[in-house]
Amino acid sequence: MAEKLEPAKVLYCGVCSLPAEYCEFGPDFGRCKPWLVENAPDLYPDLLKEANEKAADNVSDKLQYVGISSGGADGAPSSSQSGGTSKKEEVKRLPGGKLKKKDRQEVIIEKVVRNKRKSITIVKGLELFGIKLSDASKKLGKKFATGASVVKGPTEKEQIDVQGDIIYDIVEFITDTWPDVPERSIFFIEDGKKVQAG
Amino acid sequence: MFKKFSLEEISSQNQVKASVQRRIRQSIQEEYPGLETVLEDLLPKKSPLIVVKCPNHLTLVVVNNVPLFFCIRDGPYMPTLRLLHQYPSIMKRFQVDRGAIKFVFSGANIMCPGLTSPGGVLDEEVEAERPVAIYAEGKQHALAIGFTKMSAKDIKSINKGIGVDNMHYLNDGLWKMERLD
Repeated sequence: MAEKLEPAKVLYCGVCSLPAEYCEFGPDFGRCKPWLVENAPDLYPDLLKEANEKAADNVSDKLQYVGISSGGADGAPSSSQSGGTSKKEEVKRLPGGKLKKKDRQEVIIEKVVRNKRKSITIVKGLELFGIKLSDASKKLGKKFATGASVVKGPTEKEQIDVQGDIIYDIVEFITDTWPDVPERSIFFIEDGKKVQAG
Repeated sequence: MFKKFSLEEISSQNQVKASVQRRIRQSIQEEYPGLETVLEDLLPKKSPLIVVKCPNHLTLVVVNNVPLFFCIRDGPYMPTLRLLHQYPSIMKRFQVDRGAIKFVFSGANIMCPGLTSPGGVLDEEVEAERPVAIYAEGKQHALAIGFTKMSAKDIKSINKGIGVDNMHYLNDGLWKMERLD
């Protein structure tokens, strides 16, 4: 037990994130197929055969098109290559699309009550609109005449804490001061649920 | 357990103090002696350890924004599947037959017949109420982490009903939450 355990490397599917061998049970096996053919051909021998047949079909189509069998020999490799690149692009676009969704620009406003009648308003996500948090906190403090500070959240994310309950007109203030922030991307958190402002 | 799980489920997350960190580390070490040599890499003493609390008495242990362990109530800490895939030798293993895979993927508990059939393998030493890794016939990697309802011997002799509770399986909410930010 003296030597160190090495972390095992597991091949995860680039499309559905499962270990490649489980793709066939995943949510969308059809979409994983091109990725699997390229990256894990030995796991699914049937798939490879399928893909090869398809490629062969393409080649024979081309041959018929050209009509000259000797010219077909040059045409075959180029056609298979172009097929490969288009597949790659398709796969790459999918994770990109997912990433965009995750990074949605939202301002989230939350009220936390402390000492029964005192509260703190927490504003998260302003930085996603390219707003400097230190400037924003100063402006908020000035407008509402309270303390406002930039605080690091537990997972290294910065947020603004404003003393007092300012939920009633913070939305207007935000949309007025920073026109880049649309009203529909501001959310309140009420009873643990996200509610759209306005 | 994690069928539906997202960032919105988190009710609080705290950076815990050193003594709590030590306790967590110790209980993980007791549960998984095989991890001893890499524990320092997994839970570095220097970097902050964050404990995330979620509804249903669920706790996650998070280091550098990556969830590593979870536990329910005061139960044992269990590794997430991504961690288990890296260190597959740390847990006792059960194996289900091929027919069970698709049910496990939708979150079903592991029934005894799936473990006792020709495709299944039981580790006879496992007692009741222990965490186990669930493997599948013909597959290399674990597909779920379970909590035994009865001992392996009982599973074999009774051969009926739920043998292992499915805690965490591939493509559930916790799996999809690769990183917490």
